[in-house]
Amino acid sequence: MNQPVAQKLFFWILIVISIITLSAPTLVVLGASLTSGNIIVFPPDGLSLKWYKALVEKQELQDAFIRSIWVAIICVLISLPAGTLAGIALVKYRLRKGALIQTYLLLPFTIPLIGSGIGLMLVFGEVGILGSLWPVGVATAVINLPFMIWAVSSSATGLDPDLELAAQSCGAGPVQTFFYVTLPSVMPGIITGSLLMFILSLNEFLVSLLLVDARIVTLPVQVYNSIRSIITPDLAAVSVVFIAVAMLAIAILDKIVGLEIFLKSK
Amino acid sequence: MRRNLSCYPLTWHLMDILEAAFSKIWPKKGGFWGPYLMLSPAILLVGLLVLGLAYIGDTSLRTLDTSTFLFSEEWSLANYERALTEPFIRSVIWRSILGATIVTMTTLLLAFPYTYIMVRTRSAFLRKFLLIALFLPFFIGQVVRAYGWLIILGKQGIVNDILGLIGIEPLRMLFNYPSVLFGLVQYMFPFAVLMLAPALTAIPEEIEAAAESLGASWQETMLYVILPMAKSGLIGAGLVVLTLSLTDFAMPAILGGGTQDFVANAIYDQFFRTSDQGFGSSLAVLLIAIGSLLVWIIFMLVGAGTLALGAKDK
Repeated sequence: MNQPVAQKLFFWILIVISIITLSAPTLVVLGASLTSGNIIVFPPDGLSLKWYKALVEKQELQDAFIRSIWVAIICVLISLPAGTLAGIALVKYRLRKGALIQTYLLLPFTIPLIGSGIGLMLVFGEVGILGSLWPVGVATAVINLPFMIWAVSSSATGLDPDLELAAQSCGAGPVQTFFYVTLPSVMPGIITGSLLMFILSLNEFLVSLLLVDARIVTLPVQVYNSIRSIITPDLAAVSVVFIAVAMLAIAILDKIVGLEIFLKSK
Repeated sequence: MRRNLSCYPLTWHLMDILEAAFSKIWPKKGGFWGPYLMLSPAILLVGLLVLGLAYIGDTSLRTLDTSTFLFSEEWSLANYERALTEPFIRSVIWRSILGATIVTMTTLLLAFPYTYIMVRTRSAFLRKFLLIALFLPFFIGQVVRAYGWLIILGKQGIVNDILGLIGIEPLRMLFNYPSVLFGLVQYMFPFAVLMLAPALTAIPEEIEAAAESLGASWQETMLYVILPMAKSGLIGAGLVVLTLSLTDFAMPAILGGGTQDFVANAIYDQFFRTSDQGFGSSLAVLLIAIGSLLVWIIFMLVGAGTLALGAKDK
């Protein structure tokens, strides 16, 4: 790439601004969690792990974290089968009304989150399941479902139909073909999709806020409620949990499918 | 050398049972109905949303009687009339539309060079670094990111601490319109880059070389070659950023501190503070309508971009 100096300069100024803007909150939260003072100041008073130790006694933060993990697990358990089947079906078969079905399945992205959240709140309220945790998992599965379908269908485009036919001509039934041929070939998509679903569900704030009550707050809602009062470093320490999970997810994603997959053209 | 059936591995028997069960429950005309059966769980899940929209539509047509706190039995358009005439709501709607527009422009301006370098660079290390810098905030969620900005920009925040060191009075940088927009740009940035990247990857590098060998300056190459070729990606990214920031809740709530409400915040307040579900629902319908209208206008003006369905059938 032989870029002129002026172009390089122009691009790099914008990129450096972007990198700083992207990373500043994460770095600051990390730094704040390590302060030894009782308030967050710059330059920091000193380094300590005392705010992490303080987390051990914060029962409500721990409970909220466990609830968030539950919600994320329920979300994956629901969206994985539904999204995988839909993703494969959309690619493999030339469907009548295929475009219509695709548009319909994109509804979770086109309806604003506040609309989806309120709608689900009204529906769950009518059925009388508001106040339990699993509907929150269902809700996060619904609003993020297109991610799962997209991940599976983009890896299913590489699926060779002849492979399935070959398996069947060797005597495999439809179930065996599905589990031993179709599923393994879309596995990268299933892993990417499930990871995305887990992370997005773990972080889901607005829909959680609408569907939980005081007894079952999830961690993002708990953090939101706390930062509206006083900002103390223990909140930074618990936020680091989110950062750690995000880093872990990126590492897994990079290891299994490679982050570069997101740069590929269709 | 035929062995006894019982010698077969357990998994084979299991598979036989599964195949038998499958042929029982799967319709005989599986060829036609099969794909639709596979789609049905996803269709049912999204059906919950459609049901929710129906509930919102119904609730939006019922007015609240403030003396009895009951909702009217019969439908009326009173909530919509109120939503369109109340000055407070009108200012909230304009604030959201203007904000979403500014955020979209700024995000695209920043995301384009970032994506361009990320796609074009020869250095695998730089590409990985840019990808990680992108995904980390993407995976962290809005609340924690907004919390980071509170620490940085707050009255006793880091920026003011640094300014204090060189003797500048603390500035009030939070709870105003620019801070909300700034938070939104940071939130939207990864979405924009991920939508843009495939479009830029699809542009062959030779085209740039060709433009340059014909005497185009880099500005001309960008303006007349790369930007037009990336148009579909830019539109796709722009639409996603526009609709997401128009309807955002967390950034106005946390960085705006209640003074910079967007439509989503007004809806939330109607449901949880005023308890006027009817009026709140009518605002939600209005928000969906405004969002769709904006998207439709852009479709009409410049096309659907990468969001077009069926246009690029594999």
